[in-house]
Amino acid sequence: MSSRKGQRNAARVVREQLARERRRKRALWTSVGAVVVLVIAGMIGWSVWSSQRPHEFTAPRGANDAGTGIVIGSGPVTIDLYEDYLCPACKQFQQVSGATIDQLVSAGKARVVFHPVAYLNRFSTTEYSTRSSAASGCAAQGGKFKEFTDVLFARQPPEGSAGLSNDELIDIGAGVGLNRDDFGSCVKDGTYKPWTAKVTEDASRSGVNSTPTIKVNGKEVADRSPAGITAAVEAAGK
Amino acid sequence: MIVTAARIRATRWPTVRPWIGLAARLGLATVWLVAGAAKVGDLAASGRAVNAYQVMPYDVATVIGAALPFMELALGLILLLGLATRLAAGVSAALLVVFVTGIVSAWSRGLSIDCGCFGSGGQLAAGQAPSYLPEILRDLGFLALAGFLLIWPRTPVSVDGWLTGEPAVEDEDE
Repeated sequence: MSSRKGQRNAARVVREQLARERRRKRALWTSVGAVVVLVIAGMIGWSVWSSQRPHEFTAPRGANDAGTGIVIGSGPVTIDLYEDYLCPACKQFQQVSGATIDQLVSAGKARVVFHPVAYLNRFSTTEYSTRSSAASGCAAQGGKFKEFTDVLFARQPPEGSAGLSNDELIDIGAGVGLNRDDFGSCVKDGTYKPWTAKVTEDASRSGVNSTPTIKVNGKEVADRSPAGITAAVEAAGK
Repeated sequence: MIVTAARIRATRWPTVRPWIGLAARLGLATVWLVAGAAKVGDLAASGRAVNAYQVMPYDVATVIGAALPFMELALGLILLLGLATRLAAGVSAALLVVFVTGIVSAWSRGLSIDCGCFGSGGQLAAGQAPSYLPEILRDLGFLALAGFLLIWPRTPVSVDGWLTGEPAVEDEDE
């Protein structure tokens, strides 16, 4: 009687051990599966990003040698402006300090390299930052970059909206004296979108994390007021 | 009185625990899904947010910035299903520790950045103050969820439970 009970007990222990072993194996395989899923997800992200990166681009006329910005003027001191056409602080900066920078350029003291970066695509429903920057490339090709840029800031759409449509961008271009057909097809084809990606990537790489960022001879200027920029240019020109 | 209260608590705990675990699992899953979805639409911006911490070269930051949103989404999905819960909780905890370390390091170096935890990120505009402390406390809260699941990974309505064919309630041997 007692030995049969012992056998039953032993059989139960073996069964439990086998069950535990099975559970352990299942847990191991689900863990392996989960790790594989995570690694694959990471690799998908990396490959999506690599396909989005700018590979080949053509810079528009008027760009600097690196093709990362449009040059205005020819003074000895370089003012780098990193701005997004959708960025409200950039519009404000243009309103407050734009005229001062224009004067420094026309007086032959400085040249501007304007980098139209597309940092704020998440804040419009139509990737307005990329579209407007690529359109500014078309305007540069037609020799009206500065004029086009000034109107884009004056007519800046609010964040979170659809932004200006391509047709509206084309109207603005025609309004500042660009050839409607050439400029229109350039905007609609997104001819300079790869260039925009290049400009944006280069700015990110050089540590520009926010817009507007202003550099004078490569050094970031914290005081973006007219007086601050004038002082920085004078100091750099000495 | 104290003894009976403790006994009641002791008898209630095993029945309540799995449901707390379920809440923790679904809560953590939501955190990852929301965080991943907010970043996945603009991988370049995600890379910039990582780069803003200034702890690694730009090229490494962009790779991490691109991979992270997808991994967060996958982690959220795994937790939602309740698959390999202990491992997923461990990975969550490890990621959160890295995030908290990053924010503390940015704070201590006097950087003025947004943590980029749920999209945006990068340097703050002039006059905008960083909110490091709330960000850290929030992440520690998420870490508590992960910690709970790390200790008690068995929860109801999970693939784990379905695979082992056991109710989540008992099982003290693991």
